[in-house]
Amino acid sequence: MSRNVSGQAYALTVLTPILDGHVERLTAHLDALPEGADSPLARVPGTHLGRWVVIDQVKYQAHGQRHRDALSASRLLFTSNFDGTLEPYLERLRTCLAEDADAIWGHCRGYPGHEDRAGFARWLRAHELEAALFFAAYGDRTVEQVHADLDKRTRLIEFALEAQGLEPADLKQRFLDRFPA
Amino acid sequence: MANVEGRATAITVLTPYKPAGRLLLPIVFWIGRNVTATLRKLQMLSFIHYARWVMVKRFPDGGAGELLHYPYLMFESNFNDSWDQYIDAFSEVVPERMKGIWGTSYGFPGPIPVEPFKDYIRANEYVANHYWNAYPEATTTEIISAAKVAAALDELRARAPALDPAAFKVAYEDMLTSIQHDL
Repeated sequence: MSRNVSGQAYALTVLTPILDGHVERLTAHLDALPEGADSPLARVPGTHLGRWVVIDQVKYQAHGQRHRDALSASRLLFTSNFDGTLEPYLERLRTCLAEDADAIWGHCRGYPGHEDRAGFARWLRAHELEAALFFAAYGDRTVEQVHADLDKRTRLIEFALEAQGLEPADLKQRFLDRFPA
Repeated sequence: MANVEGRATAITVLTPYKPAGRLLLPIVFWIGRNVTATLRKLQMLSFIHYARWVMVKRFPDGGAGELLHYPYLMFESNFNDSWDQYIDAFSEVVPERMKGIWGTSYGFPGPIPVEPFKDYIRANEYVANHYWNAYPEATTTEIISAAKVAAALDELRARAPALDPAAFKVAYEDMLTSIQHDL
């Protein structure tokens, strides 16, 4: 099994080189993206948690580190914890992010654009890194299931409070009404 | 800049590691993947949604990848609670594993005492420029509890029609008792 998989969850890690002179523009664009329900990633089904991070340069530690490393190009990190397998998800990224994908990864070297179906997936795969260890606390649950579970829990708590002291026949009928098959 | 979305916090850390890490880290992570005690320990840190470690031997560039003097260890996590509580828990609950994972990284001061460890993580952290969370109001514990509640509820719902009212009431109360810690 891929090291990127835990249960049905997949850990996608993509690190792409940012074009010379584009770091500030890309950073400003990402910082200004709408958040919450208006995030572009809200449109990509199956995305539990995701992020874009500009890595302008690696950090020097001293402490015995003899050489000072320097990336030839800053990198854009994209990570996602999503439901299912990689290929369908890359296609969902392409079609659901659409122009937003271009506005972000268009600042990166070699990005083919979202209209190039095969190229888009190939480019992301070419910059993907494999996880050495992936931990998912509820890797068996999809985003839809998590929402449904949370909703059921809330409704059951409400029902349990309302149903205190009901006679058995009334309790059963209200339960069946509240939680239809 | 957005390391927080709802009740989830993002952490992204990148550290160079020593040549010894090329040999040791694959073993550490193999144990992590194959010895269930490691993942159980992480589950004890019940506020982590998802976390990953990645060994970056070459930085992808569309070709063979860019090779630096050192390989790098990338860590990303999504958790609820505060940043300080998170690092405190790593230091207190799984110090040996932290030592195993970051022990070959340059500058790693060890997980105990916690303040230098926090300084180290802070110094090597990158702030997310955009962060998405599909269920911003839910903690990890709530999500896991909700799955147990939903399973119990579905099970009772499936057999409820066949139960007479008295038997249903007993089954309903048994269900509530079985999931009382998850409500």
